[in-house]
Amino acid sequence: MKLSATTRTADETHALGRRIGALLRAGDVVVLEGELGTGKTVFAKGIAVGLGVREPVVSPTFTVVREYDAPTPLVHVDVYRLDHLQELHDLGFDDLIGDEAVTVVEWGDRVGALLPADRLDVHLELGAGDDDRSVWLEAAGMSWAERRDPLVAAVAGD
Amino acid sequence: MLLLAIDTATAQVSVAFGDQGAVSGQVQLAGGRRHAEQLAPAIDYLRRELGVRLDHLAAIAVGTGPGLFTGLRVGVTTAKVMAQALRIPVVGIPSLDLVAYPLRHTDRTIVAVLDARRHEVFAARYRPVPGGVQRVSDYAVHAPAELIADLLAEAALEPHGLLLAGDGVARFPEEFSALEHAELAGSEFASPSVAALVTLATARAEREEFEPPGELRPLYLRQSDAEIAWGDRAAAG
Repeated sequence: MKLSATTRTADETHALGRRIGALLRAGDVVVLEGELGTGKTVFAKGIAVGLGVREPVVSPTFTVVREYDAPTPLVHVDVYRLDHLQELHDLGFDDLIGDEAVTVVEWGDRVGALLPADRLDVHLELGAGDDDRSVWLEAAGMSWAERRDPLVAAVAGD
Repeated sequence: MLLLAIDTATAQVSVAFGDQGAVSGQVQLAGGRRHAEQLAPAIDYLRRELGVRLDHLAAIAVGTGPGLFTGLRVGVTTAKVMAQALRIPVVGIPSLDLVAYPLRHTDRTIVAVLDARRHEVFAARYRPVPGGVQRVSDYAVHAPAELIADLLAEAALEPHGLLLAGDGVARFPEEFSALEHAELAGSEFASPSVAALVTLATARAEREEFEPPGELRPLYLRQSDAEIAWGDRAAAG
C-alpha cells in the first residue's frame, strides 16, 4: 500500500508523524528515509507524541539508540553513525525490535537486511518551497492491511 | 565423561551438567533478555548443588543457534572462554537440532521452529532415523507464511505428515493452524533441549569431533558481515 502527502512546514511534518504515531502498535517498525534536513527526526518526534511519550525526544544520531517509556514504548534508532551491520547487532538490535515497543529507525533503508518485511517505510524529500516536504509512505504486511483506512485518513490529515 | 552444556539461543537460559551422556542436573530460566546476568550464576549454582569441580570437566557443549544474537553471543562466548581457561574442547550443536532430537521417536517429519522476532522464525526439518534425527533442510530464517507455504507444498510428499515443535509455533498460532494435518509437540518441546545437548555433544566428544574454540561460530543466518552503503553520508567515519 503506497500513499503520499505534502507538508508545508516542519509543524505539518510533526503533525503527520503524530497522526501516524497514534495508529502504531507494539511490534511495529517504522523506517524513516531521506537526506539530511528533510525532517526525519521531526517526523519521529511527532510519532513519539502520537504514542503518548511525554519526555522530550532528541536525535539519537550520536547515541544510536534511545528508548522512551509510554503506554506503547518507543525505541528510536538512528544508524547514521554506523559503518557495519555488525554494529547494529552489537547494540542488541534483535532485542530492541521486539513485540513490546514501536521501533523507529532513521536511515533504516540502509540496514534493510536486518529489518522485518512487515513495516512502514516513510520517505521524506525536499519539495518545491523551502519548507515543503513530499512524504511517501509504503506499508507492508497483514497488520498494515488491517489498518488501511485509518492510515489513509491519517495521511490525508482527516 | 563430565560435560557442561549451555543453550541461550532463545529467551530461555538453559544449563546442564552431564555425565556419560546423561543429565546430572539442569537449570532453565525463562526470564528473557537477561542472558548475560543469568548464565554465569546459573552455571555456578548448578556446579555447587551437584558438587562438580570445573577442572574435572572433559568438554563444554553449546547450542549454536540459529537464535537471537544477544543470547547466542553470551552463550557461545561463555563456552569459549571457559573452554580456553580450563584447556578443554568445546562442542557446538545447532539449537534447532536440540528442538528436534527429543522428538526422534515419531514417524512424522519434524519441523523445528524458533521465534526469530521481527515476525520471522528460524526453522529446519528433520527425519527420524534410528538413534536420532537427520536434518533434511537447510537452517533458514523465514516469514511464518513463507515457511507454511513451503510446508503445504511439500505436505503431499510426506506420507506421515508433520510434527511441529519450538517456541516459534506458539508465537504464530493462527498462521500454523493452516497446517491442518500437522501434529503440535507439547510446550515441553518449545525450547532447545539441554538434555539433548548433553547426549549429542557427549557422542561428538567421544568421537573427538571438536572445534577449536576460536573457530566456533554461532549460526546467525541474518546478514551481519556487510558494510552499510553510505555513498552519500557527509564526513563518513
